[in-house]
Amino acid sequence: MASPAVTSTDTLHRSSFSAKARSTSSNAVSTYAAESRRTRRALLLGVAVVTLLAVVSMFVGVTDVSLPALLSGDPAAWEIFWISRLPRTAAVILAGMAVAVAGLIMQLMARNKFVEPSMVGTVESATMGILVATIAFPSAALFAKMGIASLFAVAGTWLFLTIINRLPSRNTLLVPLVGIMLGGVIGSITTFFAYRYDLLQTLNTWMIGDFSGVIRGRYELLWIVAAVTAIGYIAADRFTVAGMGADFTTNLGMNYKAIMRLGMTIVALISAIVVTTVGALPFLGLVVPQLVSLFFGDNLRRSAPLTAVTGAGLVLVCDILSRTIRFPYEVPVGMIMSVLGAALFLILLLRSQRKEASRPRA
Amino acid sequence: MTSTRTRSGLAAKRFSFSAVTATVALLALTACGASAPASSSNASGDSSVSSSTSATSGTITVEHAQGSTEVPVNPENVYVFDLGVLDTMEALDVKAAGVPEAVFPASLKEYESVDKIGNMKEPDFEAISEGAPDLIIISGRTAGSYEELSKIAPTIDLTVDQNDALNSFEKNAEIVGDIFNKGDEVKSKLADIDAKIEEVSAKAPEAGKSLIVMSSAGELTAYGAASRFGIVHDILKFPVAADVKVDGAHGEAISFEYIKEKNPEILFVIDRDAAVGTATGAANAVLDNELVKSTDAAKNDKIIQLDATNWYIVGYGLNNTLSMIDEVAKAL
Repeated sequence: MASPAVTSTDTLHRSSFSAKARSTSSNAVSTYAAESRRTRRALLLGVAVVTLLAVVSMFVGVTDVSLPALLSGDPAAWEIFWISRLPRTAAVILAGMAVAVAGLIMQLMARNKFVEPSMVGTVESATMGILVATIAFPSAALFAKMGIASLFAVAGTWLFLTIINRLPSRNTLLVPLVGIMLGGVIGSITTFFAYRYDLLQTLNTWMIGDFSGVIRGRYELLWIVAAVTAIGYIAADRFTVAGMGADFTTNLGMNYKAIMRLGMTIVALISAIVVTTVGALPFLGLVVPQLVSLFFGDNLRRSAPLTAVTGAGLVLVCDILSRTIRFPYEVPVGMIMSVLGAALFLILLLRSQRKEASRPRA
Repeated sequence: MTSTRTRSGLAAKRFSFSAVTATVALLALTACGASAPASSSNASGDSSVSSSTSATSGTITVEHAQGSTEVPVNPENVYVFDLGVLDTMEALDVKAAGVPEAVFPASLKEYESVDKIGNMKEPDFEAISEGAPDLIIISGRTAGSYEELSKIAPTIDLTVDQNDALNSFEKNAEIVGDIFNKGDEVKSKLADIDAKIEEVSAKAPEAGKSLIVMSSAGELTAYGAASRFGIVHDILKFPVAADVKVDGAHGEAISFEYIKEKNPEILFVIDRDAAVGTATGAANAVLDNELVKSTDAAKNDKIIQLDATNWYIVGYGLNNTLSMIDEVAKAL
């Protein structure tokens, strides 16, 4: 698994963030082993923190469910726990993991660290899909609507990747800008039709993530997302290689197009399912992979679990906040996510700029 | 290869900050634009009005939410943005010549084919200007366009004040009566409403504590007294199950746990998806869950679906207020 190809990928990518890039290939291998240990420790710590947050999350709510009540077998407390608390916490973790990993895969596919599904038209397309389904087949089952949303999301992602592949330059700034423009165009078409059909406020509910409606029987589709995320993890090395570009991938004897198709499907499915069940979670797919790659590099096999755990943790924090800020009412989690995510991203950028300034030019 | 990458990486760092600022600004803008309230009526109402010149049957001065306006009596060509006022006019048998695009209730179906003057929140200024109305009547959803509309024709804002809904509505109905010379008819209709209110509010305090929720796209918001649906508590005297403080037109977002915890004996439900014509029975699906079923309201079969069009779209009108009270009375 630790083939030379993967190692070089790792060092190459890290060059933009870490000074260790100037290491020779022989000690790169030993660095690789050390990094793996560091990643494993971080992952364990992350899992511990997420577990703690999950426990906290399960005891936050309008109804009083306390640990002593649960331990004493109070049936009313257990009822709330099974119907409302556990599903909500599970939904938060599943959505957080999946959206963060989708962001990571998207960044590798676009070969750009400044993109995420909700920025380049994937989420906008998924939303358009639900809107079309809502207008055309108002009584269709959720599953059917989700299917249509997924198809739209695949189409939107494909359009984005096609456009950026034809760009004359792969300027780091140009790719997200094109994504924002494409997302804007798709978003405005969606808004126009929502406006015509008096669905603007309904559209809003999809665009702003909100877990307030999650109870047993209302979130289970998110388990599909977990499966899709797992497939993303299994195919991790391929995305890492595809992240090096079409020629590089083909030279290694791999089918670049097939990898891209797989990535696109994974990202689109995750986006569509999350948007239809809880709504969009902005910035998550951007900030979390950035954060993880800043500290642990770009090898997806290694950073995917960390990305997933960090994503889950971040959404858990936001959801706990969303339930407590205006207790007993709720604030949409998407709103808190936007504020927190934007702040985090700014901090990240300012940090890396300072680093850049202090580092000797290569 | 390494060197080009590094160079583009450096360039990225230099530009990334502005890119992100742009992204943040863009997101902030979309968020603001989406949630901008429609009822941002300006307090400093410029009450100077270009009074209409054709005073065949004289004019009267109308005091309304945004000042006072000189209005022709018995105007022919009236544009109405508020479906509650339209309902009042229907009750008085006078017709509007222009109405917004809307989901019209059965009682106002004929207005589907009447000239359209924009939608419920945004006037189509060109169409209005072209139609040269004698009078424009607006309300909360279009309150912000008062100044602009006043330049086209005498405009009055008949917003119902949610803090004093009944009096405010009655005052508005009387204004409409005065404008169309139907003051006596308004009085008798208002007397009917008052009688109905007295009948219901006599029994309501014993009917059990109640909660008003609206469902929209699978999510729930709650309303309390002094909200847009506050007539249930404020005027009809149903006791509240929860002291919901609401600012804004769409209530407070709640979880199903909230409903279970407050355990209302009567649950009034407004199905917004049905009101805007996307799905029928959406609220039923949303409320069909274990937490809601464990409330007293569900056990006593007191989950009352209020007609979403009547409550959410039309609101206070001479005919519709009676229908709304009748619906609430089903809980008795």
